[in-house]
Amino acid sequence: MAIALPRVFRTTPFRLTLLFLSVFAASASIFLGYIYVATAGEVTSRADEAITQEIQSLTGVYRQGGVKALNRSMVERATGDRPFLYLLRDQTGQRITGTLEASPVEGFTGTQKSVNFKVTDTDSDGAEVRHSARGQQVRLAGGEILFVASDVSGAESFVLKILRAIWGAGALVILLGLAGGVLISRNVNETMAGLNRVVIAVRGGDIAARAKLRGANDEFDELASGLNDMLDRLERSMGGLRHVGDAIAHDLRSPLSRLRSRLELALIEAETGKGDAQAALGQALEDADGVLSTFNAVLAITRLQSAVEAPDQVRFDPGDLAKGVAELYEPLCEDKAIEFKLEATPALIVRGNREFIAQALANILDNAVKYTPEGGAVRLRVRRRASGEVEFSVTDTGPGVPELDRPRVVQRFVRLEHSRSQPGAGLGLSLVAAVAEAHGGRLELDEGPGALNGSGPGLRVALVLPRPS
Amino acid sequence: MRILIVEDDVEAAGAMARGLSEAGIETVHAADGVLGLAAAQAGGFHVLVIDRMMPNMDGLTLVETLRREGDQTPVLFLSALGEIDDRVAGLKAGGDDYLVKPYAFAELSARVEALARRRETGSVQTMIKVGDLEMDLIGRVVHRHGKEIDLQPREFQLLEYLMRHAGQSVTRTMLLEKVWEYHFDPQTNVIDVHISRLRAKIDKGFDHPMLQTVRGAGYRLEV
Repeated sequence: MAIALPRVFRTTPFRLTLLFLSVFAASASIFLGYIYVATAGEVTSRADEAITQEIQSLTGVYRQGGVKALNRSMVERATGDRPFLYLLRDQTGQRITGTLEASPVEGFTGTQKSVNFKVTDTDSDGAEVRHSARGQQVRLAGGEILFVASDVSGAESFVLKILRAIWGAGALVILLGLAGGVLISRNVNETMAGLNRVVIAVRGGDIAARAKLRGANDEFDELASGLNDMLDRLERSMGGLRHVGDAIAHDLRSPLSRLRSRLELALIEAETGKGDAQAALGQALEDADGVLSTFNAVLAITRLQSAVEAPDQVRFDPGDLAKGVAELYEPLCEDKAIEFKLEATPALIVRGNREFIAQALANILDNAVKYTPEGGAVRLRVRRRASGEVEFSVTDTGPGVPELDRPRVVQRFVRLEHSRSQPGAGLGLSLVAAVAEAHGGRLELDEGPGALNGSGPGLRVALVLPRPS
Repeated sequence: MRILIVEDDVEAAGAMARGLSEAGIETVHAADGVLGLAAAQAGGFHVLVIDRMMPNMDGLTLVETLRREGDQTPVLFLSALGEIDDRVAGLKAGGDDYLVKPYAFAELSARVEALARRRETGSVQTMIKVGDLEMDLIGRVVHRHGKEIDLQPREFQLLEYLMRHAGQSVTRTMLLEKVWEYHFDPQTNVIDVHISRLRAKIDKGFDHPMLQTVRGAGYRLEV
């Protein structure tokens, strides 16, 4: 059976904290264990050294003055701050003298060998205290056995203190680590819950839901703003779809119903033998062509928008391309007494689909010529920006597009009030925008040269293509 | 003129045959790629009109097979709502022209006629003559009735195309494709403006106009 842990303990950060803590605890144990062993070893080896020196010194006294001198020296030494404990026994093991009553070592088990034992003492209050001691014994030249020990309880308690400190520090580290893990988990948990709420809301149909940025500029903010961007795009394209649906209903239903009634009328009139059936059919054909070309344009835009990038891209001179398209429109300008000028920086290079870019440029020029009144001016310019991007810009002296409407005219089927009288389905700039996007570029709309003599302020449309790599 | 229609949509093929017979073109129909290939191999057609997507054998394979066998009969591909890469693939496979469905019969018959005619003028020409209009392709000069006509380079190309297809209807789309090499549909009829400009140069001041407008189709240069 799974145990239902609180949510915060099931989060990835908490699990990572646990994993990190166990790795940390294991390595800390090894490290601290080494310190313990080294410290304890140092304490005993120092005690052993001191005992060895004491034995050497006493052996020296014995060599010069025999048991008597040794006994005296031991008594003298023992009355000091009693750093050492002594026991001198004869060949048979009978105690001769010393501060120890009996040997902690049974018999004689060797020379210079260290043993640990307990010694009972009375403290200042008269209570019995057992101390740890460590001693060595040696057989003297005359057969006597000398045992010298040192009280190591002080050193032992030092080691114990270190051990306690190690345990305490370890526990503290683990406790702090766990607390930190819980804190981080809770924090991450809250952020993720925020993002999750957005996903759930969007899944539930609320496309307008957005994640809150915490302002920390971290990866969570990055994720949140990425999610928001994605939702923005989705919302826009959904809005676009809905708009296209409405627009198709509007823009295609009316010509289709016109077509239908024309055909019906032609049929009735043909049956009754009156009316101009031929003219009606001609009109019907024109209506059908209009519907088809709208469909084609929508299809072209949709395909471009769904393509990752425009197909068949080549490197070419944008000035040449502009010259070709300009030449197509020049006579049209002349007929409308529009002054047309092409300014192209020579020998530029862009990468793209020539056909799409030519069509985009033709659409921009078409609009410019359509909306520029007689006697106006249209200028087509091709140049490289300081950023390395290449722009095709068309400036006209027509009525322009109010700033507020500019983002809207790029949408499919959007036609401003004054343009409804002009032919077109409102797809020209949408196609330009789709072409720009399919090349990693963009479409920019700005005000033209300004109002003059009742005309203007004009429009400046720029198709900006990225610097070729 | 006799053409082969390879099209799996029988109704569309029937309409096409009717439309083309109006233009005086005799048609034979094959209902899929394999039948189409057999009919084409039997020969005797001026132009092959071939649908791209068909059961048994698609149009591209059919034309590739024909071209491998050395058959150079002009081919017009038909396809539903084409993209540029579709057209390029069709031309690469050995197609000579490409038309997107739905199309106007005027467009189809003009293109079929243009393809059939192209066959007949295989040799390298240095001079084209239509009535009293003369074009020197080497010297790049045009005379009508002995009088030199000053043309811009594009007007020269436009007139050259019209003269090469003299007596045939030529659509606006064909002119845009063959003279300007653009394959899109400009919103405004820019071609009309270019034509009227050319017309002013070659017809103005002469007793009869040569550059005719064909209602519902395009233009025709007539003697």
